[in-house]
Amino acid sequence: MEAKQKTIDIIKQTRKAAPEAFEARKLYLKMRKAIAEALKDEPKTIPQVAEATNIPIGEATYYMMAMLKFGELSVNGIDDMDEYYFYELKKA
Amino acid sequence: MEIQQETCINESLYDVLVIGAGIAGEESALKLADMGYRVLLVEKEPSIGGKMILLSKVFPTLDCAACITTPKVSETARHPNITILTLTEVEEIVRDTKNRFSVTLKKKPRYVVEKDCTGCQECEKACPAIVNDQFQFNLTARKAVYIPFTIANPRVALIDIDNCLLCGACEKACPSNCIDFTQKEEQLKITAKSVIVSTGFKLFDPIQIERYGFGRYKNVITSMQMERQLAPTRPFNNILRPSDGKVPDKIAYVFCAGSRDHTVGNPICSQVCCMYSTKQAQLLMGALPMADVSLYYINIRAFGKGFDEFYEQAKDMGAKYVKGKIASITEKENGNLILRYEDIATGKVTEKEHDLVVLSVGILANPGITRVFKKERLETDALNYIRQTDLLQSPAITSIEGVFAAGTATAPMDIPDTIMSAGAAATETSSYLARLS
Ligand SMILES: Cc1cc2nc3c(=O)[nH]c(=O)nc-3n(C[C@H](O)[C@H](O)[C@H](O)COP(=O)(O)OP(=O)(O)OC[C@H]3O[C@@H](n4cnc5c(N)ncnc54)[C@H](O)[C@@H]3O)c2cc1C
Ligand code: SF4
Ligand code: SF4
Repeated sequence: MEAKQKTIDIIKQTRKAAPEAFEARKLYLKMRKAIAEALKDEPKTIPQVAEATNIPIGEATYYMMAMLKFGELSVNGIDDMDEYYFYELKKA
Repeated sequence: MEIQQETCINESLYDVLVIGAGIAGEESALKLADMGYRVLLVEKEPSIGGKMILLSKVFPTLDCAACITTPKVSETARHPNITILTLTEVEEIVRDTKNRFSVTLKKKPRYVVEKDCTGCQECEKACPAIVNDQFQFNLTARKAVYIPFTIANPRVALIDIDNCLLCGACEKACPSNCIDFTQKEEQLKITAKSVIVSTGFKLFDPIQIERYGFGRYKNVITSMQMERQLAPTRPFNNILRPSDGKVPDKIAYVFCAGSRDHTVGNPICSQVCCMYSTKQAQLLMGALPMADVSLYYINIRAFGKGFDEFYEQAKDMGAKYVKGKIASITEKENGNLILRYEDIATGKVTEKEHDLVVLSVGILANPGITRVFKKERLETDALNYIRQTDLLQSPAITSIEGVFAAGTATAPMDIPDTIMSAGAAATETSSYLARLS
């Protein structure tokens, strides 16, 4: 078991992670923090989150859908016009 | 009988090598395996199932695609006469002196011990790296360690090493201890008495047609992206616009996007786009009862069994078929799209606003496999599909003796025709093998 846990160290001797992978991680963390901040008090739609965070709305959609997939957000109803869903932070 | 004896003597000798595990490859492999032949099924992706496993429902019956394909995929995976290699591509095929094919394969590392992975996804939860999800056609993201999709087979994780941060969190989190970063690319050598090429088709990339705005306007999507949105394993919580998460209510389809179009080098009909768009329209009207769905077409090709009735059914449900040629698509500030089109009946140029546009993208040949055949040439036709040298009498026969072709590797076709084509390839292969022995 101990020996197997070190396989990451073995690959690290010959391989480096791509800088783009770190950039993508950094961006996701930034988006996630801003989205979580916008949702901390109440559920919001994607346009409401985009407005509160100044994240371009297309990017807000992408990252909120990713957070939904990763189990960090959940759906909380739809607006009166049946157009936009409300999303909230998933309760732990 | 002789087949079985030889198999015991040489573990790397197969009766048939099937290249490509879409519905064509699975069907051919299953038919031959049921006859007692030993089959090696090679797939370049991490899961078998091809495009069909990613579809929502299928025309014209509206059966759930996953419900039809999953049992077939499992049967293929469990069959004692079929060996499956995923993440594997063929490098070289050469006929040897015994009239067999000597095959070199390249198997990419999964970095996960396949037999030990339980598919628990603990590694995914721990992984900090995110990247576009290719199995959701980039509509959402996935982790660097991931299970391709819920009904993947094998349902086993893999690591996308190019996007991995090498942080080791997955290895720590895995309760089965099956993450293994020491795995390397392997070269395998096998011998096969015959080969079936079932490498399928490629999708037309609509970025080539600038006037449609794909790649620039988020609410112009492809039909494959809509298939994913309609499937139970969808990327979003409902059918939504990628620009702002709005539930769309004025949806347009643009038929023949990259088919019957000399300017993009694909002058032929893709056979399935009229019907899959008609299917999607029906599914959309079911899922979003208030939605208005308009389908812009040049001609409707509803030639198969039950197709015309299926088309009439869509019209009865409220789908609006507009005989119009799209001149351009432009985007408004709110993400809505203006379609400028020539009404074919009146010749008048008209504009209409929609909030989501789906491009019914065409099917293209996938001829890369021809390069692996050395000394003999696997011929292609004028459109780069595998050439069927006796199309009318033996459609599975190719320019190389002992090499057969199945499914959309030979031409655009739907699932029922693909299954028939795969049956024909299996029959030709078995009679070739009988002649050999
Ligand atoms: C949007 C859309 C909707 C559709 N809806 C319907 C429908 O409702 N009903 C219907 O009847 N048809 C439908 N079709 C058509 C259907 O998808 C095809 O008929 C069917 O998938 C063809 O199967 P295939 O096995 O020939 O090809 P594919 O599904 O393309 O499978 C080929 C396999 O070979 C693998 N491969 C390729 N190259 C290599 C290589 N070099 N080495 C190893 N493996 C390789 C691929 O990864 C893939 O797994 C639809 C098509 C589209 C695009
Ligand atoms: S690799 Fe490990 S943690 Fe990931 S799905 Fe497989 S068993 Fe679970
Ligand atoms: S080592 Fe790579 S795949 Fe594993 S958790 Fe870290 S980033 Fe993800």
